[in-house]
Amino acid sequence: MIGMEHAWLLPVLPFSSFVILLLVGKYLPRRGDWLAIGAMVAAFVLFLFMMADLLGELETGAEFEGVRSGIQWLPLEELGLEIRLGFLFDQLAAVMLAVVTFVGTLIVIYSMGYMKGDPRYGWFFAVMSLFLASMTTLVLADNLLLLYAAWEGVGICSYLLIGFWHERRPAAEAAKKAFITTRIGDVGLLIGIILLWREAGTFDIREIFEFARGGGYSPEYLTLAVLMLFAGAVGKSAQFPLHVWLPDAMEGPTPVSALIHAATMVVAGVYLVSRTMPLFDLADPVALAVVVALGLTTVMLSATIGLVQTDIKRVVAYSTINSLGLMMVALGAKSVTAAMFYLFVHGFFKALLFLASGNVIHGTERQDVKELGGLQSEMPLTALAFGVGVLSMAGLIPFSGFWAKDAILHAAQSHLNAAVVGWLSFSIFLTALYMARLYLLTFTGRPRDKHAHEHAHEAPPVMLWPVLTLAVLSTVTGFWAFDQVGEALGFPGGIGRFVFFEEPESFHFTAGTAAISIVAVVVGLAVALWAWGGEAAPARRLAETFRPVHNLLLNGYYIDRFYQWIIDRVVLLAGRTLAWFDRVVVNDTGVDGPAGLGVFWGYAMKFVQTGRLPNYALAIASGVVIIAIVVLAVRV
Amino acid sequence: MIPLEHFLVLGAILFSLGVYGVLARRNAVLIIMSVELMLAAVSINFVAFAGYIAPEEFRGLVFALFVITIAAAEVGLALAIVLRLFRNRTTSNVDEVDTLRW
Amino acid sequence: MSYEEGIFYLVATVTVLGGLGVVLARNVVHAALFLIVALLGVAAVFLLLAAEFLAIVQTLIYGAAVTILVLFVMMLTRVRDVPQAVDGPQKPLAFVVGAALLGVLVLAAVSTDWGALGARESVQLVPLRDLGSSLFRFWVVPFILVALVLDVAMAGAIILARSEEGE
Repeated sequence: MIGMEHAWLLPVLPFSSFVILLLVGKYLPRRGDWLAIGAMVAAFVLFLFMMADLLGELETGAEFEGVRSGIQWLPLEELGLEIRLGFLFDQLAAVMLAVVTFVGTLIVIYSMGYMKGDPRYGWFFAVMSLFLASMTTLVLADNLLLLYAAWEGVGICSYLLIGFWHERRPAAEAAKKAFITTRIGDVGLLIGIILLWREAGTFDIREIFEFARGGGYSPEYLTLAVLMLFAGAVGKSAQFPLHVWLPDAMEGPTPVSALIHAATMVVAGVYLVSRTMPLFDLADPVALAVVVALGLTTVMLSATIGLVQTDIKRVVAYSTINSLGLMMVALGAKSVTAAMFYLFVHGFFKALLFLASGNVIHGTERQDVKELGGLQSEMPLTALAFGVGVLSMAGLIPFSGFWAKDAILHAAQSHLNAAVVGWLSFSIFLTALYMARLYLLTFTGRPRDKHAHEHAHEAPPVMLWPVLTLAVLSTVTGFWAFDQVGEALGFPGGIGRFVFFEEPESFHFTAGTAAISIVAVVVGLAVALWAWGGEAAPARRLAETFRPVHNLLLNGYYIDRFYQWIIDRVVLLAGRTLAWFDRVVVNDTGVDGPAGLGVFWGYAMKFVQTGRLPNYALAIASGVVIIAIVVLAVRV
Repeated sequence: MIPLEHFLVLGAILFSLGVYGVLARRNAVLIIMSVELMLAAVSINFVAFAGYIAPEEFRGLVFALFVITIAAAEVGLALAIVLRLFRNRTTSNVDEVDTLRW
Repeated sequence: MSYEEGIFYLVATVTVLGGLGVVLARNVVHAALFLIVALLGVAAVFLLLAAEFLAIVQTLIYGAAVTILVLFVMMLTRVRDVPQAVDGPQKPLAFVVGAALLGVLVLAAVSTDWGALGARESVQLVPLRDLGSSLFRFWVVPFILVALVLDVAMAGAIILARSEEGE
């Protein structure tokens, strides 16, 4: 029977697709897109089987620690190292994989329409397959080393896909930026992994937990290691200060933005912290405080910047950064449930927003709201779906976003302080504001570019159906918070009873927090309607009045400029100095020096060969005399 | 009743004169003559040692005999070379024979 | 000074003067004649050392054959018998080296304790018969080899020195 022990197949399926597409893709009919899709569908079906198996196990009521599979790859006992291709399937992995496999399948199908006609069509599907293989490996990895390898794997795929249209300079630059920025975080992650391994002697996650619980790490050491791990999350999940790559990553094709930079890869940081929460718990509280601080900063930063951006995808990108910050705050409150719940629903509505944006871009060949407007009439279904996404993101009841945000607010209230709750509420207001703004500017009002408007058309079915499916899911998945819904589906209860840290949580519906968030959302939507509805005159007046603030936000608080300055003044300067050193000291003096000396010496020495016998005879005679004198002196 | 050192010193003087001649003279034939002088000095030393220190088996004498013989052979050969050199270069000045140089 | 020593000094002076003439003479032919004097002086020294056979051999070979050879080659290479610069540019250095060598050798000769090495007071006489038999008994192999060397040298000299066609 197919069950959880077959978890290893989940990465293998898309990986095989990648290999085949890489080798013979261009000879297959339709460049083999059906192979990629087939692999993902098979993976999703397998996942369903595994889920069924998991639910069956949970029903027995016994303590469930997850099911392992995998093989030993490189046992190096002398070095105290064991490299294992090991996989662990438990509830946490299940939630994440639900998003990865399902949304992944939808997006690969969507790509058939969006990428149609692209000269490198086949390569797109190959790299997508590789990405999905790496992502599933990351989720399922039972040891930190494999997780790190998969972490890098998704990073590479992100690079390749952001720079998919690498003939465009901005795309190539964005890909580079993404890779380098996340790399900075990755270094921290690696250091953290090594720190943990050094004391525990193993990379296995469960064993490391055992070791830590047994007091194997000193508190300072563990705190340091855990903060290093978090550094990796900061990079990959675009937290402040390493958030700068995500908006630029929108240079990639929209399916890429939807899958990688919304639903799956960017939440890998959230997943990592969730996975290693026991370590965060045992470490000094300052670690989690850092998490909350950075998360909150990220939330406020992104909400304010997103308010003034004009590229559709950039706005959605900033909303993703916003969501990631929220998830980090939830984790800072030690609520894995809230974070994973939000991750789950976010996967659906963010992918929805991106794919719907993709429909807009595909239909109008424009991305800037300055050139859009009034598309409701031309693309009604997309507009409807986009609207659902907006409301879910903003967190309006009864959409899924509301329930997840409520859970986060609740967690913040219980474990953190009122200030955090206040900021979060303010961010909910801002989110409603900028998301509604985006909808209004794109779909309502007078069309700003007549030409685009005239040629706008609804998306083809292959691109429409995934969007509509996601819209439905964005509406209903929020109800998984309730125990009744969960039990009806075969779960032990609501999501709080399925995935949790230490204690299962039932969903509490406190009137207070709910009221705050509903009010914030409604006020936000209302203000947006006033400011950007119709001719959007109030917005224009405000932008004029507060021009400096507007510019500040438009330029992302000039953080990018600052980083570029550091690179130019510090990094490149250091590079130039080192290059000079290498060229002049090492090469010219160190290497060429002795060589030149040898050459010169050879030249100088050749003058000894005068060719004249008397000279040679003199040399011989002198030598003999000198030796004779020496011998005489020594002897006497 | 002549002390051994007298012969040795005489040999030394002749040898040094020969060395000077080899190094200072220009004409090839003169150089060869200086070499002859050196060989003669060496023979004196050998015979002196044979006479004073080890007369059994006459080692020194025999050695000196061979030295004379070989010297003669060498002189013949060397002078043949000088002749040939002279025919090719019309000079027997060793300072002018320097093509095998840098 | 005893009788023998006196004769020794006489012979030694003649020999050294001959040597000086070889290396210092301006005229090349004069130098050759001085060589004859030096080599005959050496023959006399051999006599003083009671090696008569060797003295005779020295006179015959050097005094006669070698010097004739040298004079012939001088003729064939057309050495001028007028004084010309016969000394090369290395004269000063050569003088230094020669003097240094002389110093070293004399020092070595004088400072060694020859008595401890078994030096006798006077020279032993060498019967010719014993020398001959020793030569053909103990030293026969070097003897044959030296004969071979003479052969080769002779052949070589002939080949080297003969005239080519058209010379």
